[in-house]
Amino acid sequence: MSTDSPPATGARLFHPHFAGHDQISARTLGFWLYLLSDALVFTAVFAAYAVLNNSMGASGGPIASQVVDPVEGLWQTYAVLGSVATYSLGTVALKSGNKAGVMLGIILSIALALIFLGFEAHDLLGLLAKGDGPSRSGFLSAFFILIATHGLHMIFGIIWMLVMLVQIPTMGFTTNVVARLINLRMFWQFQATIWVLVYIYVYMIGAF
Amino acid sequence: MSAPRTSPLDHPEVRQASAWRYIAGFVSSMVLMQAALLVTLRQHLPYQEYILTIGGLALVSLLSQAALFFGLDISRAQIWKSVSLVLTIPLFILSVGLTVWMFQSLADRTMLMPMTSVQPTLLE
Repeated sequence: MSTDSPPATGARLFHPHFAGHDQISARTLGFWLYLLSDALVFTAVFAAYAVLNNSMGASGGPIASQVVDPVEGLWQTYAVLGSVATYSLGTVALKSGNKAGVMLGIILSIALALIFLGFEAHDLLGLLAKGDGPSRSGFLSAFFILIATHGLHMIFGIIWMLVMLVQIPTMGFTTNVVARLINLRMFWQFQATIWVLVYIYVYMIGAF
Repeated sequence: MSAPRTSPLDHPEVRQASAWRYIAGFVSSMVLMQAALLVTLRQHLPYQEYILTIGGLALVSLLSQAALFFGLDISRAQIWKSVSLVLTIPLFILSVGLTVWMFQSLADRTMLMPMTSVQPTLLE
């Protein structure tokens, strides 16, 4: 139930049924602030990686140039950027209320994200098989945490997309669904931004 | 916060979606990453110049993503996102920069093992 009159003074900071409040803007700004705090988590992980990425941090184990392949990383970059582009293009279909277009964008995005995660899993499982797991050295701990943190974000994004694939046909483009789709778009674009930093710092500088 | 609308599909966050911007964001990021890969594989630059070059390419890529993917600008709909990002960027730089600086000081003064390796790092 919505009302045109403002809530009583001191009742609530944000009233979910007050028509004067822009629900989508409030949610997207709030989610954006969450993403910035999430970026600070990645910053801490990058900082740990930066101080452990040396021979002493490697403790006689492999160093960055022995565990990363920048050429393979480019395929991962294609996959994650392609996934972000297809989801984002799906939200162009949202403008015209085209459910099939939005869902097609989501499905293509999930497919590319799974390819990306396949590369990532192949890398990490390969290291584990060689005995170079996260407990092998400080450097490998930081490397695994950095890659896995990004990978977990991707997995969460895929789950979110699967939920949206159910909600779009069943609920339609309600305010709640639209706000979730817009927030998911920001979340997914954020993964591409983080990956560019991982690719440059870990895969390229590590291999130099 | 802007005024309420009759349909959520009329919201500025929905209307800002643009096919050309997303395609341009994808293409520009890919071209920049390929250029960075080329510089990395050729290995013809000294380490410091390499870091500056590749860092510059990463910065341009991040800026293009901010503008083309996220659609950040100073419009009424996006201004607070842009402002909050600008205010947070120094925290990113301080977090990584100070951590590296502190550990470099630690390594210089207390570490007994020489930090030699086959590849340079930010600490070395």
